Amino acid sequence: MPVLNNVQAVNYALMQEMERDPSVVVFGEDAGYEGGVFRATVDLQEKFGVERCFDTPISESGIVGAAVGMAINGLKPVVELQFCGFTYPAFNQIISHVSRMRNRSRGRFTLPMVIRFPSGGGIRALEHHSESPEVLFAHIPGLKIVMPSTPYDTKGLLTAAIRDPDPVIFMEPKRIYRAFKQEVPEEDYVIEIGKANVVKEGEDLTIVTWGAMVKDTLKAVEEANKKGIFPEVIDLRTIAPLDREAIIQSVKKTGRILVVQEAVKSFGVASEIIALVNEKAFLHLEAPPARVAAPDIIVPLPRGEQYYMPNPDMIYEKILEVVNFLT
Amino acid sequence: MIQEFKFPDIGEGIHEGKLLKWHMEVGDTIQAGDTIAEVETDKVNAELPSPYSGKVIALLAEEGGIIYVGQVLIKVDTGEVGKSQDQTVEPVAEENAGVVGALEASSEVIPASAEGRKQEAAIPPKRKVLATPVARKMAYDLGVDLRNVTGTGPGGRVMKADIAAAAEKTTAGDSEASKPEQKHETKLEAASKDRNQIERVPLSMIRKTIAKKMVQSKHTAPHATAMDEVDVTELVKFRETAKGHFDEDIHLTFMPFIMKAIVLALKKNPKINSSLDDETEEILLKKYYHLGIAVDTEEGLTVPVVRNVDQKSIVRLAKELNDLGQRARNRKLTIDELKESTFSITNYGAVGSIFGVPVINYPEVAIMGIGKISKKPVVIEDELVIRHMLPLSMSFDHRVVDGGDAGRFMNDVKKYLSDPYRLLLL
Repeated sequence: MPVLNNVQAVNYALMQEMERDPSVVVFGEDAGYEGGVFRATVDLQEKFGVERCFDTPISESGIVGAAVGMAINGLKPVVELQFCGFTYPAFNQIISHVSRMRNRSRGRFTLPMVIRFPSGGGIRALEHHSESPEVLFAHIPGLKIVMPSTPYDTKGLLTAAIRDPDPVIFMEPKRIYRAFKQEVPEEDYVIEIGKANVVKEGEDLTIVTWGAMVKDTLKAVEEANKKGIFPEVIDLRTIAPLDREAIIQSVKKTGRILVVQEAVKSFGVASEIIALVNEKAFLHLEAPPARVAAPDIIVPLPRGEQYYMPNPDMIYEKILEVVNFLT
Repeated sequence: MIQEFKFPDIGEGIHEGKLLKWHMEVGDTIQAGDTIAEVETDKVNAELPSPYSGKVIALLAEEGGIIYVGQVLIKVDTGEVGKSQDQTVEPVAEENAGVVGALEASSEVIPASAEGRKQEAAIPPKRKVLATPVARKMAYDLGVDLRNVTGTGPGGRVMKADIAAAAEKTTAGDSEASKPEQKHETKLEAASKDRNQIERVPLSMIRKTIAKKMVQSKHTAPHATAMDEVDVTELVKFRETAKGHFDEDIHLTFMPFIMKAIVLALKKNPKINSSLDDETEEILLKKYYHLGIAVDTEEGLTVPVVRNVDQKSIVRLAKELNDLGQRARNRKLTIDELKESTFSITNYGAVGSIFGVPVINYPEVAIMGIGKISKKPVVIEDELVIRHMLPLSMSFDHRVVDGGDAGRFMNDVKKYLSDPYRLLLL
């Protein structure tokens, strides 16, 4: 079984899906000849030809718009936008067309397309390269938002996204692109979109997180275990549609919830999850729902980034705070 | 141009190997075909040849470490200009002059996904209570444990009134409403009472062992008890006479006689001198007679073993008992002296008790309890006479021994004890 890191798993999934299904096409800025800014699409052009994997002009709106046309006409485009911060020029296409083609055409047309891009900070990059904008997409009805946290999940989820009949926003936490490796099965498998993953079972509190923060959360949980505290850790895998059932069930079991997100604190995915818990598990709560998130500021430049990023220490402190409430 | 050399699949379908030795250093100039390193896999030991010529600019694995197929082992600068195969972001940084930051790169391998082979839920849920935050705060302020309050609201929700009622009852000294679970009871009890009135004594090792063995015996062997009285008037007389016949100063109790009687009876009733093997469902009849003698010590009960009682004289038994008893009280016994008894005797008569219901010294199947010998009015041949009577209680494992077996054994013991000449001549 190959042992791959996250970005290699992206490449592996693309490779296998392009082999399996000739209607899958891959394109984006530098995605062809160079194999992508992070090498996610490396070797694809060489293997499948310039018709199926090619470079585009620096025009995100054009890239996504072209994908809409291809998807309507029977192809399965998987487009790469170079960075999360470069997705904004494509928003008109995404909101006005990608998310609503099925609805607009009363089901006659669906858009089987994937928009994938590296997301999140922690790599000491320049402006526009470090945001975690998942909530911007999650607030648009008609889109599925997926964010993997391991190489195994990356392949399974990306494969599912490519085969999905509707548009999927596939966000790749770039901080962990090469941070660790994992066995990734060669054989065909998909991970169902819309289902969260209980990474660690526990009884003292529920921690919901996703993407690169899963690794940091598990680190904090390891510390908490030493203190006899056993949190349950849920990796969302899919931001939208949210796996409400998994979250509510877990909170009913543990009575406490902490959401860990890399994005800024206010108006985010964590806010939504906490609202959900208050609506559906209110009587089970033994402590106020809590969040670990970045402050409500623009991501600092490299020198100040470490003050911005949530880290295992902050998560650990918050775990103690939630578990010790009123005890 | 920088070329990477990745660990190839050198066997048929290997996934990993161990890097034994580098054959080059950073800075070396190599030719295609030169050996890069020696590698051990589960199938072969092999030398890896370089496909590139040029200057080694990085060695990316440790000697002695595990390397995975596909992992980059070395980077070679071939000096050519061409399409980059480099998988790191460095060339991008060059092309885009610092647009991309620094990725954390590591070959750390995280555990494989357990997807699809998930274990059953390991942790049983704790008892949880339905309550609003305001009710929880109220319970906290009043010192009421919500888990012990019965909720009267919808779906069993604990209402503020429930908490108020529970708090009132607690202050009124009625703990009915907030009756804690069994486990918490002793803790709470201790906490609520004056600390001076309860002293906490940690269990000693010997106490723990006794507790464990008693629980094991009572849980495993269904106990039944047979009781009887023996007329030991003759034995009492005999012992008085015998006392004067020794040169040495020997403390001669009734115990050696009782042991002898029991061993003679055991020989006639082999089932009593046995144990049960649960696994094979066999009764193990023992052909040796090692009697455990319960000794009351300051630290607690201990049961030293007198071995091969059938082969020893009354005098020898008396001496051994003395010695074992003394060393038991001084905690000087060896482990061997506490092992392998086949039947046990407990003499609560020594502390003045008449009857008792002894607990079997598991895995034995029976234990004899000896009461205090006392003079009693007895009817013999329609005449009321005063005799020395010895009360006996024998508990037995009813899985192996039935009441009939126990009764017959008891009769044999009685027969020998009531007639010391028969006891000594046999």
